[in-house]
Amino acid sequence: MTSFQSTLGDEPGIAEELAESQQSISIAEFFEKNKHMLGFDSGARGLVTAVKEAVDNALDAAEEAGILPDIYVEIQEAGDYYRLIVEDNGPGLTKDSLPKVFGKLLYGSRFHAREQSRGQQGIGISAAVLYSQLTSGKPAKITSRTQGSSEAQYFELIVDTDNNEPEISVEETTTWDRPHGTRIELEMEANMRARGQLHDYIKHTAVVNPHARLELREPQEHFKFERATDQLPAETEEIRPHPHGVELGTVMKMLAATDSQTVSGFVQEEFTRVGKKTADSIIDAFRDRYYGREMCWRTPRGLDDIDIKGVASNATANKSVAATGAFSDKIASKVADKDRIAHHQLLDIVNESAQECEQEHDETFGDTVQENVAEAIWLEVIDASGADDANAATGEDGDSRLVADLYDLADDATSTRKDDETIHAFADRLAGKFEDLEDDRHRLTRATLREFVDRAADLTEEYDEVSFGETARENVVEAVWDVMATVPDDPPLVRELNGDRDATSDLVDAMRATDIMAPPTRCLSPISEDLITAGLEKEFDADFYASATRDAGVSGGDPFIVEAGIAYGGELPAEGTAEVMRFANRVPLVYQRGACATTDVVKTIGWRNYGLDQPGGSGLPNGPVVIMIHVASTNVPFTSESKDAIANVPEIEDEIELAIREAARELKSYLNKRRSMQKRRKKQNVLGKILPEMATKVAEVTGRDEPDIDDAIARIMNNVLVERQTKANGDGQAVSVVVENNSSTNESLEITDIVSAEPTNLSDGATVVEMDGEWFVKWEPEVGSDDEATLEYEVPDDATFDLDVKGVESEKLTVKQ
Amino acid sequence: MSADNDQQAREQLIDLAAQFYDQFELGEIPHMSVPTRTKNNIEYDEEKAVWVYGDRESTRSANSVRGARKLLKAVYTIEFLADQLEADRSSTLRELYYLSESWDNEEAQFSDQDESNGLIEDLEIVSGVTREDFHMRPEESGATLMGPLHLREQTRRGEREIHCQKDVGEGGYQIPNNPDTIDFLDCDADFILAVETGGMRDRLVENGFDDEYNALIVHLKGQPARATRRITKRLHDELDLPVTVFTDGDPWSYRIYGSVAYGSIKSAHLSEYLATPEAQFIGIQPADIVEYDLPTDPLSDSDINALESELEDPRFQTDYWEEQIELQLDLGKKSEQQALASHGLDFVTETYLPERLTEMGVF
Repeated sequence: MTSFQSTLGDEPGIAEELAESQQSISIAEFFEKNKHMLGFDSGARGLVTAVKEAVDNALDAAEEAGILPDIYVEIQEAGDYYRLIVEDNGPGLTKDSLPKVFGKLLYGSRFHAREQSRGQQGIGISAAVLYSQLTSGKPAKITSRTQGSSEAQYFELIVDTDNNEPEISVEETTTWDRPHGTRIELEMEANMRARGQLHDYIKHTAVVNPHARLELREPQEHFKFERATDQLPAETEEIRPHPHGVELGTVMKMLAATDSQTVSGFVQEEFTRVGKKTADSIIDAFRDRYYGREMCWRTPRGLDDIDIKGVASNATANKSVAATGAFSDKIASKVADKDRIAHHQLLDIVNESAQECEQEHDETFGDTVQENVAEAIWLEVIDASGADDANAATGEDGDSRLVADLYDLADDATSTRKDDETIHAFADRLAGKFEDLEDDRHRLTRATLREFVDRAADLTEEYDEVSFGETARENVVEAVWDVMATVPDDPPLVRELNGDRDATSDLVDAMRATDIMAPPTRCLSPISEDLITAGLEKEFDADFYASATRDAGVSGGDPFIVEAGIAYGGELPAEGTAEVMRFANRVPLVYQRGACATTDVVKTIGWRNYGLDQPGGSGLPNGPVVIMIHVASTNVPFTSESKDAIANVPEIEDEIELAIREAARELKSYLNKRRSMQKRRKKQNVLGKILPEMATKVAEVTGRDEPDIDDAIARIMNNVLVERQTKANGDGQAVSVVVENNSSTNESLEITDIVSAEPTNLSDGATVVEMDGEWFVKWEPEVGSDDEATLEYEVPDDATFDLDVKGVESEKLTVKQ
Repeated sequence: MSADNDQQAREQLIDLAAQFYDQFELGEIPHMSVPTRTKNNIEYDEEKAVWVYGDRESTRSANSVRGARKLLKAVYTIEFLADQLEADRSSTLRELYYLSESWDNEEAQFSDQDESNGLIEDLEIVSGVTREDFHMRPEESGATLMGPLHLREQTRRGEREIHCQKDVGEGGYQIPNNPDTIDFLDCDADFILAVETGGMRDRLVENGFDDEYNALIVHLKGQPARATRRITKRLHDELDLPVTVFTDGDPWSYRIYGSVAYGSIKSAHLSEYLATPEAQFIGIQPADIVEYDLPTDPLSDSDINALESELEDPRFQTDYWEEQIELQLDLGKKSEQQALASHGLDFVTETYLPERLTEMGVF
């Protein structure tokens, strides 16, 4: 028979020939061919991605050093190419690390850190350098000055794609006007077709980084985004990995690197949220997987004709009668105290009894004696002693103890529809599997137990022609596993585990199966509700802003926090759909909006409930709205390397929804209030026409002067009425400003009366500030519903006034002066 | 009516306007409270033996756009009425409704006549001046009167002395809108017989019932106008004439009797002035339907509803009415006055009325 294998063998050389053309490729070469994976798929996109990578790095660097970021981005046309310059005021880079940061892919400080940061992989900026050298053939020009050094370093370098190392062409010291920071200049083939995305990126970055000053100068436009706050984001703290979020490979590497000797020490040292107690739980779970459990059989009861005491004393040789009696008595009563017993538990009992007898009778019960006694009793317990063999051979119906025990367990665990015969046959076969075990301690893992049950069930199905389904099997396994006992053996030491893939896998399983507290959140730096609002206010001229920051959640062992913000009305375009701004770790996501979990969530929310227009009741809402979502995590799950969209992870999606709804509820109450204000305005308009007419008519009919109706109108509108009355008082005049609150709620007012002469005898609670010959009387009363408050002061006769009231909606306010 | 009276009515209206003025000045929300005019808000005034409004009030307040419009209309109407009194003119309710169209303020114009009628009622109640004193008339002219009564009427064209049998044709004496302008000179009548339908009134006149029994026959013309009820009240009070009411035998006719005797819900504020609590009901009683074996019609659903609602009407909560209404509901039948003609044209004057009146103790 001719086989392909043998044909190959006949012609030696082909394999060698093939092998010759096979060679390793460097990561740099790989990405050279797969630029799109990093977001450099076109000239337009490439420029945006390069800006993004450079700015992200700059922000991370400055923040890490506790410096308020000040970042300058410039894009110049340079012949056929575009020149991108990004300058920051970060701490600068040392002479040694600088070339690697920019000239070596996958070099960075972030990849192994469990801490929120913009960059994660150490690919971005070197990929930009790579893209630039590929398209323009020119090296990256980098200047960096570290704080305190008098001169700056200047490098020109490219990425040597063959071995993924920086190739430096120029290295010199130079002067730079910035005291510290880094400047990178890249030339690349590009175009400005993605100008919109570029602007969005910079603008959105400004929104979520209100502490940063950003400037963008491009051939056509020039933007500056000033700081909204001087408060740096809270510093994040690196955390150790969470046991629920690590992979097998990671744990194997960690085992190789750890200083700990024991597994308990290892899990406590290397993981977050693992203390002594949790470590014990993990180790118990690990033992179950690594060693298996020991079966606990029922201890002999009155019905059984097993005489533990007799067996024990028979097995005890060469001891005094008294001691032997006491020894076997102790063992018998301790065994009888237990419902079920496992082999190691029996050993403990024998050992304990031996020690007690040694003290009481001054006779030594050595290891050999203990072993013999334990062996003899255990054989009785598992019905495997020679004496019973004869019995088993003769008595047809004399089932072994194991069968009876397993029968009861299986009968409880399976449905009542199975008849006794079936269960009995099954229990008999399962007991057989136990009896066949070489290790008569009956120690087995859950997987082995499952095999036993499957085998017994299969045989039962085959011979007894009944079905023994998946659920029944699982239930039996569960029931038996439950009565089995975790063994006391010490877990292997770390050095034993190191390199043992199967054992390590058992450990990872054990960690996953153990309940462990969620990871701490000090590794995260949310923007905070106040700063989200500040950021939105800075970049959008809207009427209303709301924001929400959720508590931290956990996904795959990584903690995350979701925040949302909403801006509404004002100068936002009223036509078309809402603008959705997406952020991950403070980085704006500009591309692949449709593939992003955030967009999906926004679309599923019923915005009509929140007072927004939503055609068809789903999808993006319409109207003058900006919805902003920020997901901060130690490991944001992106859909691809280019980090454009957040993957649909259910835990994160749920939090996104809750955050948006929290902010949307505020929007709703704002819109409701606005509507009621509109209604009030309408009513005021109508009444504002009718009541004066009525007053005129009443005056006509009664032949009197027209009445003053302001108070009545204020009352009708439940308005807050602020009224100034003056009264001649000697040389001057006494002024009183009366606030009358006719509304159903308490009102806090800020009243400023600008007076042209110095007021005296001011009543309590008010202050006066003089400025350029004018006196500002400030008064901030809180007036309850249907209540009044009065401010009094005196001024010379010729004083003029100007009353300014804040703190009450203009629709609700009537000012008379 | 005297000019003094007009002056007083005018002052009262202007006082009302002044009240609004003061409310404005005090910074209060202009408002006006009037008793709620429903069946649930009338109660029996023991002293005067008539039904008057209870304590429940509705407030017309400028608090709402609707209320403000109402008050604006009220002020415009006050102005109109005051001017009308000053010029000694009068107008009908319907004219007021159309007249509002000419007002310079669209907000003050009435949207339908129910609104203007309701407003006039409000003003009557609040000012305590009757509609007649505002010189407001209903559309329909008053009903007629026939019988041995000599009176003097103050007309716009001077005083007229009229004998209501001898000086009038078969149609009888026309009751003026404001019967308070009449002075009674001489009366030979023994009692008043108020009749619901025109047909029966003509039958009684043709049969000479007024002559034969000295009866003063008042034609009610369905629900009696205020003028009809007022003159009946005056005849009873001033000339001490017993009042009897003769209507059809159905729930609607009982209400006619009710408004003569107890006052109507709409004008309970004037009960003291319009109602004659001593008025007695002749029939047709449900008991008569059985006793005289009258031809009948079955009760319709709305008849039954009306009867049941009368059982709840405080004005009809007497033993007599409860018994009669229950009986009618049992019979399920109703009869008209004219059904008496089934026993002959003279049956009503020769048999039915004399029997009933004797029974009631009028003769």
